[in-house]
Amino acid sequence: MKLDPAFIWTAFIELLSAIPTTLEIAGVSVLCGILIGTAVALVRIYRVPVLHPIASAYVTFIRGTPMLTHLLLILFGLPMLIDAVAESLGIPFRSVSIPMIGFVYISFSITEGAYMSEVVRSGMLAVNRGQIEAAYAVGMTTPQALRRIVFPQAFAAALPNLSNSAIGMLHATTLAFAASVVDINAKAQIVAATNWKFFEAYLAAALLFWGLTFLIERLTALLEKRINSYNRGGVA
Amino acid sequence: MIRLTQIRKSFGRNEVLKGIDLTVRKGEVVAILGPSGSGKTTLLRCINYLERPSDGEIEIGELRVKCKHPSKQEIHRLRGKSAMVFQQYNLFKHKTAAENVMEGLVVVQKVPKEEARKRSVELLEKVGLGAKLDAYPSQLSGGQQQRVGIARALALNPEVILFDEPTSALDPELVGEVLAVIRKIAKEGITMIIVTHEMNFAQEVANRVVFMDQGAVVEEGAPNELFRSPKEERTRQFLQRMTPEAVYSI
Ligand SMILES: Nc1ncnc2c1ncn2[C@@H]1O[C@H](COP(=O)(O)OP(=O)(O)O)[C@@H](O)[C@H]1O
Ligand SMILES: [Mg+2]
Repeated sequence: MKLDPAFIWTAFIELLSAIPTTLEIAGVSVLCGILIGTAVALVRIYRVPVLHPIASAYVTFIRGTPMLTHLLLILFGLPMLIDAVAESLGIPFRSVSIPMIGFVYISFSITEGAYMSEVVRSGMLAVNRGQIEAAYAVGMTTPQALRRIVFPQAFAAALPNLSNSAIGMLHATTLAFAASVVDINAKAQIVAATNWKFFEAYLAAALLFWGLTFLIERLTALLEKRINSYNRGGVA
Repeated sequence: MIRLTQIRKSFGRNEVLKGIDLTVRKGEVVAILGPSGSGKTTLLRCINYLERPSDGEIEIGELRVKCKHPSKQEIHRLRGKSAMVFQQYNLFKHKTAAENVMEGLVVVQKVPKEEARKRSVELLEKVGLGAKLDAYPSQLSGGQQQRVGIARALALNPEVILFDEPTSALDPELVGEVLAVIRKIAKEGITMIIVTHEMNFAQEVANRVVFMDQGAVVEEGAPNELFRSPKEERTRQFLQRMTPEAVYSI
């Protein structure tokens, strides 16, 4: 079979329709991942009793197992759990009414939360201890000090890692095919199925992912320039 | 008035403060002297609970806190009554000079933003930084940063301002500008506790000098008495070492 350059373009155009799904999965997982990750990081940094060992176990387990495995466990385990709980409570709700992409969101958020917790943690540890002490000294409570002083600086410090993690998640959305969700990659497969030009279709998908990644990198660079201006003596 | 009673603090087995008693009247400026490692920083940090005393009692104004089992709220109120000027300035890195001064007013004291900004500008002008309102700490010299730190402390209108060696991280040529600011606010009757190695400054600005060594107050008195005729041998030795030449060579 010979390469069909024209079909790369055709496939590329077809793939555009899958961009929203891919971005939604990546966006939801990264956002929820940051929330979960921040909570987990706080629990570990402040060594909250009871929760602390649980948080550590969560991070170790998730980072020690493949993401596809998480998805499969959620896909097959969570419906059982939901149905059992619903039944014992006498609620008529059944898990079949949950769209598959819902399980993808849940699973990927759990995965991303573990990785993000490390990103957030190292960002927070990069903030000088004197900063939170100064916040306490002006009378702030711990939540105020975290929100006003520590998080903004931790975010600036963590931004490169955060961006890397988000890019990793963008690429990992291809695993959603296991839940029959049509992301860019699954769409490429569908597009090629009619004429068996898989190489052209996957190449188009690769180009599309590359473009999206490039966008994220540019966005990060812009953001970095903005929020880090205080460090470099820029502004003023 | 501030009254510390039998303040104790241990780090593990190392008892760093061995029962400190200290009373500071309203409007008084107290200088704390003592060799490095004698517990001066720890004592200041205990007063606003950056360090948790193992035992003792802290009284500031109407608030009286038993250090053994303070409630979160007591700690919070205690911190609200004092302000700290740090050796390493510790300005909020991601905020401008004006924002640094406003921060406590807006977030803690809930002063409306515009009013806080106005107050912040006034205070920065007072410490000679009216032209640096929108500069970030990284764009300021050490002396300028420390003056912002002082303005930030003043903004809170605290019962007492605690200074922990406010000039010892500065290049010698920048020490003067910071001392001048402290001198100026001392005249305004603000209660201050100043840990310092600047002997001349302490003698000039303080109403009372406290000499600490090895976690205890060795001697205290009026500056003239203590510097001219110290009663304790340890004080005498320390003062001898800290002759002006020695101070400036640090
Ligand atoms: N966080 C800490 N952990 C353990 N030891 C400490 C800590 N902070 C201070 N110390 C010890 O307490 C003693 C007094 O320190 P410090 O209060 O900083 O003295 P000074 O300010 O008079 O130089 C020193 O021996 C120091 O090593
Ligand atoms: Mg010290």
